[in-house]
Amino acid sequence: MMPSSVYTRDRCVTGIHGLDEILRGGIPYGSTVLAAGTCGSGKTTLAMEFLVRGALAGEACAHFTATEPSVKLLENIRQYSFFDMNMVDTGLINVFDVDVLYSWLGLDKATFDLDDVHALIKAIVDIVNTIGVTRLVIDSVTTLCYKIKSEQLIRDFLFTLGKKLATLGCTTVLISEITSATENAHWSSFGVEEAIADGIIVMGDVERMGHLLRFLQVVKMRGTPHSRAKHSIELTQLGVMLTPMLKWGAVSDQKTRWGA
Amino acid sequence: MADITFSSEDEEFFGKVGGFGVPKFDAVMGGGVPRGFMIVAFTQTGSGSELFAKQFTSPAEEPENTILISTNEAQQEIIRVYEKYGWPLDIGVRTVGEEYNASVLERDLLASRYRLEGFQLPDIQRLAQTRFVDTENRDFLTEVTNEVMALDPYFRAVVDSMDFFVQREDPSRVISMMRMLQAHTQMVRGLLLVTISSDGLPPGLRQEVAGIADMVLEFKVRTIGTDFETSMTVTKFRNAPENLRILVFRVTPEECITPETVERIA
Repeated sequence: MMPSSVYTRDRCVTGIHGLDEILRGGIPYGSTVLAAGTCGSGKTTLAMEFLVRGALAGEACAHFTATEPSVKLLENIRQYSFFDMNMVDTGLINVFDVDVLYSWLGLDKATFDLDDVHALIKAIVDIVNTIGVTRLVIDSVTTLCYKIKSEQLIRDFLFTLGKKLATLGCTTVLISEITSATENAHWSSFGVEEAIADGIIVMGDVERMGHLLRFLQVVKMRGTPHSRAKHSIELTQLGVMLTPMLKWGAVSDQKTRWGA
Repeated sequence: MADITFSSEDEEFFGKVGGFGVPKFDAVMGGGVPRGFMIVAFTQTGSGSELFAKQFTSPAEEPENTILISTNEAQQEIIRVYEKYGWPLDIGVRTVGEEYNASVLERDLLASRYRLEGFQLPDIQRLAQTRFVDTENRDFLTEVTNEVMALDPYFRAVVDSMDFFVQREDPSRVISMMRMLQAHTQMVRGLLLVTISSDGLPPGLRQEVAGIADMVLEFKVRTIGTDFETSMTVTKFRNAPENLRILVFRVTPEECITPETVERIA
């Protein structure tokens, strides 16, 4: 009897140099991926390039920015040659300021209750559904969840949002701000995001020879085999470049041949 | 605060007292209300205080220095009353309630619509192009205070009613505003009438408001058989307790509010 062919899920090819190889072809379609990283680790650039590569392939993309005004975000991202402002002007990449969204929904208050959370989910899902978004970034989910005081409500918010977006075939990157990316660190601020996400990509810095090197590590990705090795990230004019990180000297307090 | 000098011409023109807009009331109160007084009227629903508030502006010695600030009525309603009684239409009128409806309630209504019905494509396109929040969170209490404080000497102003602010603001802010208004009114010899509903007003707040006022009026309405009786009681008149009175009044087509009987408070 012939062995049945192995089922593989369709992939959302990120187009980011090195990442698709780590993920053996890309992120499984409709996944919710937590991109958790320390400040300055390249989360926003990685997420933006993820959208740009999608837009270049003709996909509709959306970016919800809560940590910096969209004006500033776009100014910062314009320095990369992979980005073209025309993508925003023509509606291929739709950038939404979360504070504007809050204001429109009457959510300009200190904390959100259940109705508010549902209103937020409905708004995001409406946008994704109406313009056929297939790639979505929320930058950051930490800032969004700050207003939700109950852990249970955060869990419901992320679970429901992820489920609805998956149904619509939208691959989502939720950016999470963390203070440490070491082995013992949490990969999310509230502890629930990492449990609900289909995938976790951790980004941080390692010190080597007095320099801070950025690294990326795919910790979890449901629906695909993947490398769990640390990769170094370079933010170049052309975009994010991932290369395998040499094992030696990865952590500053470990004795290395160079440091010994 | 800078000292204000008053010309003798103005002193002669405006006199030491100004009319209430109700000649019979003026007569009972020794000619009118002393310049520099802030009057607080505690009111009941249906007691005729809104009419009195408008009537108080009717003497309008200087129309450009006279203002009616209404928090409940619309411009059209106010104009209709002024036309009916032949009161001057060239005074300043500000309808805070209408402004509030236009700026705050419309936004709330739109937010409810978005929450219930969701976003349509044009909404989403507009949202994607909107980079900044419309941060026009209006502080009507400060606006009204500044508006009255900007009036010139011998002004005449009415705020009808303070309930709008009491219901939305911290009471201590409302009290601070009233203290500022009282000080300004006294300094520039203005006349200020402020109405506030006595229904549901916390006793402590009522006491404080009454303490700031130079004159306190209480508007009441009661039923006698099948009829209504409206009255105003002067419960405070700074430095003239002999003016404390109970006045039963009616509304006539010619004179609007007119006292019928006057009773001295023992």
